[in-house]
Amino acid sequence: MRALADLWAAYGVTLVFGAVNAVFALSAYAVLAVGVLSFATVVFAGIGGFLSAQLAGAFGWPFLAILPFAALAGALAAAAVAGAFLRLESHWMALASLALVLIGRVVALNAPALTGGVNGLIVPLRATPWELAGLLGLCALAFWRLDGSAYGLAARAVREDAAVASTMGVSPYRLRFAATLISGAVGGLGGAALAFTLQFLSPDTYFIGLAFTMIASTVLGGAFHWSGPIAGAFVFTALPAAMQAVVPQFEDVAKGLVLLAIMIYLPRGLIDPRRAALRRARAHG
Amino acid sequence: MLLFAAQLVNGLSLGSLYALFGIGFGLVFATLGVLNAAHGAYASAAALAAYFLIDRFGTPFAVAGLAGVAVGGVLAVVVDQIGFQPLRNRRSGMLAALITSIAFWIILDSLFGVATDQQSLAFPASSYPQAMLALGPLKVPTMQLVNFALLIAVATGVHLLIEATRLGAAMRAVGCNDVAAALGGVNARMIVLVKAFLAGATSGLAGVLAGIATSNVSASLGEGLLLKGFAAVVVGGFDDVRGTALAGLLLGVVEVFVAQYLSTSFRDGFTYLILLVFLVVRPRGLFGRDSVVRA
Repeated sequence: MRALADLWAAYGVTLVFGAVNAVFALSAYAVLAVGVLSFATVVFAGIGGFLSAQLAGAFGWPFLAILPFAALAGALAAAAVAGAFLRLESHWMALASLALVLIGRVVALNAPALTGGVNGLIVPLRATPWELAGLLGLCALAFWRLDGSAYGLAARAVREDAAVASTMGVSPYRLRFAATLISGAVGGLGGAALAFTLQFLSPDTYFIGLAFTMIASTVLGGAFHWSGPIAGAFVFTALPAAMQAVVPQFEDVAKGLVLLAIMIYLPRGLIDPRRAALRRARAHG
Repeated sequence: MLLFAAQLVNGLSLGSLYALFGIGFGLVFATLGVLNAAHGAYASAAALAAYFLIDRFGTPFAVAGLAGVAVGGVLAVVVDQIGFQPLRNRRSGMLAALITSIAFWIILDSLFGVATDQQSLAFPASSYPQAMLALGPLKVPTMQLVNFALLIAVATGVHLLIEATRLGAAMRAVGCNDVAAALGGVNARMIVLVKAFLAGATSGLAGVLAGIATSNVSASLGEGLLLKGFAAVVVGGFDDVRGTALAGLLLGVVEVFVAQYLSTSFRDGFTYLILLVFLVVRPRGLFGRDSVVRA
């Protein structure tokens, strides 16, 4: 028991941030799973995060009571983004969402009434590790159920070949719209989770760094199954902590090198259903 | 009026840096399909190399600058061969290349952080030309004119190289379809190296000049250029050097004017707003031809 407590003291923070990053990674996965690369999760997270910080500050609401509002705000923002950008070709969509992230920071800097501006915003409450674990579990459950549903099947079809999917009666546009809404809701939740974990928000909280962490986690873990982003987020968050023990000055270098090695040697990520299926087939073959 | 003219020169000089940076970024994206987040790191590397040469060995400025440019180019080739070549062999898409470039960005930036002790360095004021040149009633710092002149020279040179030489034709062919180009007798591997070097060298040039213009030589130098250079490339159109050059200048002028006449807090916002409007309304950019989708 004592050893467990020590372990928590040493790595608890890493686990907590791993869980938060896993929610972000799931949000990125939601759209990647239908073949859309989007950084807009960061914007949804910012909206959910600042909203929940304001709600906590003004009304003293606890984390769990705020979550539905954060999800709703994220989904609403996602509807606007989807309406404006989804008609774009895939990589223009990616670039447009990146531009949106850049604009988001400028807006956050210039709306001090909502975001605290340059001074940032203090979040008076804190989410317990159990609440975060519950949130992540709930998201994972939702993605697990979606994966097995008709939506999941249609999503795989659209991702593999949108033109073929549409000849089969699946509308790629409507599916991608739905996926963006899911990404928005999950992103909003992640934003709230981050707000209640950091307890301090500034315009730089929801910026490029978060965008890249989230995409890197997703691709590292594998973007072909919902458990990939979760695994990737924990690995990507734990890497610097683990590397700090070994090579303190070069922890980020080591993080980059691991990412690089995975891209070169395991391009489909840590968790890859196709590789697992091939291995099974060979074992039984 | 004098203020307006002075600010116009400021904007053109700043825009020259964005454009110089964007030329290589756009070249690599349009013809190699790599959205390279590490492109800013080449600029930082070049500025750092030039700084250390001047600081440690008292190298003359022009020589140190050229050495920095070479460092940027070589670094780009190394990154390309280690990181992007394996992906190219496997024909993985844009996402894999983006993540790989992010990995390089993280690695290089933290190495630069260690090399500079996390400090922001600055070129010694005596190391580069400081005189003010008189343009009529206007006094303009020499370096601002140098920035502009170098942009014109580089943009013209790269444009002519791509559009009017055999090497340029080979570069366009490889960008269009590398297998077909190879069947036609083009050494595709070599062309990729040339493109990477060209991109790294122009980024390095922008880095050295930006290091002087902003009195900041550090890892963050490249990051600032990356965001604005990216905007210049999108607004100008990926596959056209002239477009990137014009858009870079335009964004520089807009940024300076917004800061002067509207509000300093919106200067970045305006740039990104222009970027967003272009992405939605005219994704091909000012000069863009067809879209740059690669199957």
